[in-house]
Amino acid sequence: MSYAALGAAAEIAANTGADVLGVFVEELNLLRSAGYDFAREVGSASGVSRPFDPTKLEQRMQRLAGQARCALAGAVAHYGGRHTLSIARGSVVEEVLALAGPQDLLVLGRVGWSSAPGARLGSTARGLLRRSPGRVLFWCERRVLPQGRVVVFLNDHEDANRRAIRATAEAVRHSHQPVTLLLGSGSEMPLEAFQAIRQDLGIPESDLRVRSLPATDPVTVVQVLRQEKAAQLVLSRECTLLQEPGAEQLLVALNLPVTVTP
Amino acid sequence: MPLPAPLSEEQVYHGCPTEKLDFITTDDLEDLEQPCGQDRVLRALEFGASMQASGFNLFVLGPSGAGKHELVERFLSQHAARQPVPPDWCHVFNFGFSDRPKAIQLPAGEGQQFKKGMDDLAEELRTAIPAAFESEEYQARLQELQEEMAKRQHQGLFEIQEEANRNNIAMITTPAGFTFAPMRKGEVIDPEEYKTFSDEEKQLIESKVEELQKKLQQTIQQVPRLRKEVRERVHALNEEMVQLTLGGPIGELREKWSHLPDVVDYLDAVREDVVEHAEAFQGSDNGPPAGLLARYRVNLLVDNADTLGAPIIYEDLPNHQHLAGQIEHRAHQGNLYTDFTLIRGGSVHRASGGYLIIDARRVLTQPMAWESLKRILFSGEIRIESLERLYGLVSTVSLQPEPIPVSVKVLLLGDRMLYYLLSHYDPDFLDLFKVEADFEDDLDRNDDCYELYSRMIATMARTLEIRALERDAVARLIEHASRLAADQRKLTAHDRVLRDILSEADHWAGQSSADTVEARHIQQAIDEREYRASRVRERSREQISRGIVMIATEGEEVARVNGLSVLRLGASMFGQPTRITATARPGKGQVVDIEREAKLGGPIHSKSVMILSRFLASRYAGEGDLSLSASLAFEQSYGGVEGDSASVAETCVLLSAISRVPLKQSFAVTGSMNQHGEVQAVGGVNEKIEGFFDVCREAGEIGGQGVLLPASNVEHLMLRADVRQAIAEDRFRIYPVSDINQAIELLTGLEAGEPGSSGEFPENSFNRRVAERLARFAEASKKRDDNADANSSGGKGSD
Repeated sequence: MSYAALGAAAEIAANTGADVLGVFVEELNLLRSAGYDFAREVGSASGVSRPFDPTKLEQRMQRLAGQARCALAGAVAHYGGRHTLSIARGSVVEEVLALAGPQDLLVLGRVGWSSAPGARLGSTARGLLRRSPGRVLFWCERRVLPQGRVVVFLNDHEDANRRAIRATAEAVRHSHQPVTLLLGSGSEMPLEAFQAIRQDLGIPESDLRVRSLPATDPVTVVQVLRQEKAAQLVLSRECTLLQEPGAEQLLVALNLPVTVTP
Repeated sequence: MPLPAPLSEEQVYHGCPTEKLDFITTDDLEDLEQPCGQDRVLRALEFGASMQASGFNLFVLGPSGAGKHELVERFLSQHAARQPVPPDWCHVFNFGFSDRPKAIQLPAGEGQQFKKGMDDLAEELRTAIPAAFESEEYQARLQELQEEMAKRQHQGLFEIQEEANRNNIAMITTPAGFTFAPMRKGEVIDPEEYKTFSDEEKQLIESKVEELQKKLQQTIQQVPRLRKEVRERVHALNEEMVQLTLGGPIGELREKWSHLPDVVDYLDAVREDVVEHAEAFQGSDNGPPAGLLARYRVNLLVDNADTLGAPIIYEDLPNHQHLAGQIEHRAHQGNLYTDFTLIRGGSVHRASGGYLIIDARRVLTQPMAWESLKRILFSGEIRIESLERLYGLVSTVSLQPEPIPVSVKVLLLGDRMLYYLLSHYDPDFLDLFKVEADFEDDLDRNDDCYELYSRMIATMARTLEIRALERDAVARLIEHASRLAADQRKLTAHDRVLRDILSEADHWAGQSSADTVEARHIQQAIDEREYRASRVRERSREQISRGIVMIATEGEEVARVNGLSVLRLGASMFGQPTRITATARPGKGQVVDIEREAKLGGPIHSKSVMILSRFLASRYAGEGDLSLSASLAFEQSYGGVEGDSASVAETCVLLSAISRVPLKQSFAVTGSMNQHGEVQAVGGVNEKIEGFFDVCREAGEIGGQGVLLPASNVEHLMLRADVRQAIAEDRFRIYPVSDINQAIELLTGLEAGEPGSSGEFPENSFNRRVAERLARFAEASKKRDDNADANSSGGKGSD
C-alpha cells in the first residue's frame, strides 16, 4: 500500500474539494493461484518458499482491507474531506475503470518491487495509463526541491495540450510553483499562445518559461528535466513522448510525480 | 690551674672593618651573578641539570626562607637558555577507537600551524562537502548507480517472469512475495478447470512451477550481495567526490606535513572518515553536525611556539590534576559530556624537555600527587586519568588518551627534614631524586667575603627596589648577619631574614625622610623586630624583678647557682637565668634528677646528669664507694628541661651542696661538661648572656656580675652594644672556662685543688672539702649498714 500516494490524493482532494474514493481490489488471479495444491509463496525479502493456501490468503486480504480503510481515513482526516472505500474482487484495471469517470483523477502509487528505482511499469499502471477516461497521476515519493518547477510537455495536439494545461493549472493553483513549457524539437510558441497559456495557468510571467527539446529520446528528456529542476511533469497520453520506444520506462526512471492527461 | 681573664670588649664582638668596604653606597656595587658561598648547591644544580641519565632529579634542601626558589630559578634560566626548545604535542581524534585520542608530536611552534590548518580544513569541509554532494553531477551519478543496481536486482525477476509467461505460467505478486500459477490469455486458470487437465499436462506445469520457484528463490537470495555491492559503489562514488573536493586542501596539508609521518597518517584518516560519513554531510539545512566537524579539530596540549630554550615551569599547586593533566567535562542539560578537545595538559606536559620546580611539602600534602609524580618519572610517560578513575571509584566510560612520553627534570624544594624522612621511608625516593643540592646555612666570614657579601646586599636592595645602603649600614648588616649565624667567623645565608631587615630599614629611612639607608635605620629595624617579639620575654623578666621567680644576682648561697636557658618562640629566642639547686646526704651513690623523675627532663639532660654522677664518683670516691644521695632541680621551671648546657652549673651546685661552700650569685653559668671535668661548648650563648645581663640590670646597678661560659664558645659571641659597654667599663665580666675547676674557683673564691701523688687534694682546697664530706657520708653509711646487719643477724638468731 502506498501511503505516500494516499496522502497526495487526500491533499489534492482537499485542495479541489473532491471526494476520495479508495479502491481495494481482491485480485482474482491471486485468489485463483492460491487454490492450487502445489501453490507456494516465495518471500520477496527472504526468498524462502512457504505453502500458499486460500484460507490464509482470505484472512490476509481481510486484514489488508482493514488496513486500507484505516489508512484512507487517516490520510483524509489529516486534510479534511469525505472518503469512501470500495472493495471489489476481480481485475484491478477493470474494477477501477468501472468506477472512474472522465472528471476523476486516478492517483497511483508505487509499492514493493515496483517502487525501486529502475523497476518496470507494472501491468496495472500500463493498463490504467492507456485506458483511463480521466487524468492519471503516478505519484512518486521524492525529496521536494524548494525551487522545483512543474514541467508541461506540449505538442501539436491542441486538445491534448489544453487538457495538460488545465491539469497544470490545478496543480500550481495551491503550490504556486513556477512552470516550464517543453516543446518538441524545432517547435516555437507564438507570443499570443504563450500569453493565453499564462492566463490559463494564472501565474505571473516571471514564473513561466518555454524550452524546446533538442530531441525526444529519453536521455535528453531526463537531462532537460534535471536542468529545469522539475518537481512534477504533466503530459498528454497522445503526446509524442509517450509514443517513443521506452517511454514507459522513462516514466519510471524520471522518479517524479507524473500526470498523464487523456 | 690558672684562672681565665675576663673577656675584653673586642673578644665578645667581631665588628665589621669599614675600611674593607670600598664604596660609598650600594649603588656603587655591581650585581652578584651567583650567590656567594653556595658553591655546593651550584655544583649540584649544574650537575643535576646537565645529567641526562634517568633518576637524576634534584632535591634542593635548605631551611625555608633561604632563597632556594630564587636561586634555582635564576640558575635554571641561565642554564635552560642554552638547551633546545622541546617539541609541541597535540591530541587528535582517533578514528579507529574514538575513546582513545591519539597524540602527535610536532616540532616546536608547528603545533599552532597544524591546529590552524585543521581548523581551516574543517571550515572548508562545512561548505565544500555539502556543495559537492548536492551538485547535479553527484546526484545524477548516484541515481544512475542506484538505477543500474536496481535494474540488476530486477533483471533476474524479469527473466523469471518472462520464462514463466513463455510457459503460460503467471508470476503473481502476493502481499508478501510471489507465487506461480498456470494461466491462459493473461488470466490464471481456475483451479477447478485445472483438475480436468491430463496428468501429463499437470506434471509438466507443476515441474515447471517448481523449477521457476527454485530459480526465484536463488535470485532473491542474491539480493543482499547486490545491495552490498551498491553500498560499496556508493562509497566509492562518495570517496571520489570527497577526493575531488578535498584533494586540494588535504593535498596541500599532506605536502606541508610530509616530514611528519604521524600527521600524514592522521590526514589520511581524516579523508577516510569524511568519506565514511559522507551521508552526514548531506541533507541538513544547517550544514554538517558540529560534532562531526569537531572531530577534525586539534587540541594543542603543549605549545612551545613562544618558548625560548628549555621550559622552566613552577607548579604552585602541585595536585594530581595540575601535574598530570585532566579530562574536563561540559554540562549539557544535566548530563556531562567530554571529548578529546577537553583534554587539558598538566605542568609535567609543559615542562617536558625542561625543568619542573615543585615545593616538596605541597606535593606531599596533595592527595596522591606524590604517587602520580613518581609514576610519571618511573614510566617516562604521562597517562591522563582522573583520580577517581585511577583508584576505581567510578567506572563510567571516559577517554583514555594515548600516553605522551616525557623527559622532565624535576626539582623539589624542601627543608632538610623532609629530605631525610623521604630518604628513610620512601624506597623510591633515592631512585628518582639522586642529586641532593644542600644549601649552606652560613657563609665563612673572612677578609675576602666583605666585597661579595656587600654586593649580595646591593643586589638584594635593587631587587627589592629600596633605597641604596650607606657603607656603615652594610657594615651593621654584616655584623648582624654574624649575630644571626651566632658565630664571629660566619655570616648567615638566610635570605628571607636579610631581605626583611632591608625592607624594614628602608621603611624607617622613609619615615625619617632619608635618601639612603643608614646604619641607624638598620639598627632601628633590628630593634623594632626585637621589640615586636619581646612580650613574653618582658613578662618573664618582670616575674624575676618582682621576685616571683627567685633569682639572686648578688651575695653567696650554698647549693644554689644561676643556670642559663634559652627559650625559642616562633622566629625569636631569648635567654634567661634559672635557679638550680641541689641537696646532698649519705646514700648509695645516686644523683636524683628531679626533672627526670617528674618527667620534665629530656634524654640529653638525663645523660648529662649521669655524666655528672660518674664524674663525682671517679674524682672523689677513688677506689671506694661513693656514698651520696643527691638531688638536682631547676627551680620554678614548669615547662620541661632539655639539653646538657647546664651540666657545669649542676656540678658546681651539687659540689656546693656536698661541701657546704657557698657560691657567688653574681655569676650565671652555662656549659656542658664531660666525665673528666672538661667544659664543652653549648648553643645560644649570646641570648643567655644578654638575658642574665638584663636581669642584673633590672635588679639594680650592674657591678661585678658576670657569666661563666665555655672557652670554646668565645668565637660565637656577638653581644649587644650595652653589654659590650658594661664589659668595657668592667662592670660585667665574661669568663671563658675550660675546666670545672676554673668554674669552681670563680664561683667559690677557693682554690679547687689538684690531687697529689697520694690522690689527696691539698689542704683547704675546695675539692678537699668535698672529699672529706663525702668520706663522712661514707662513714655514716657504713655505720648504718653495720647496724642494719647486726639487727638482721639478731633477727635470724631469734628464729
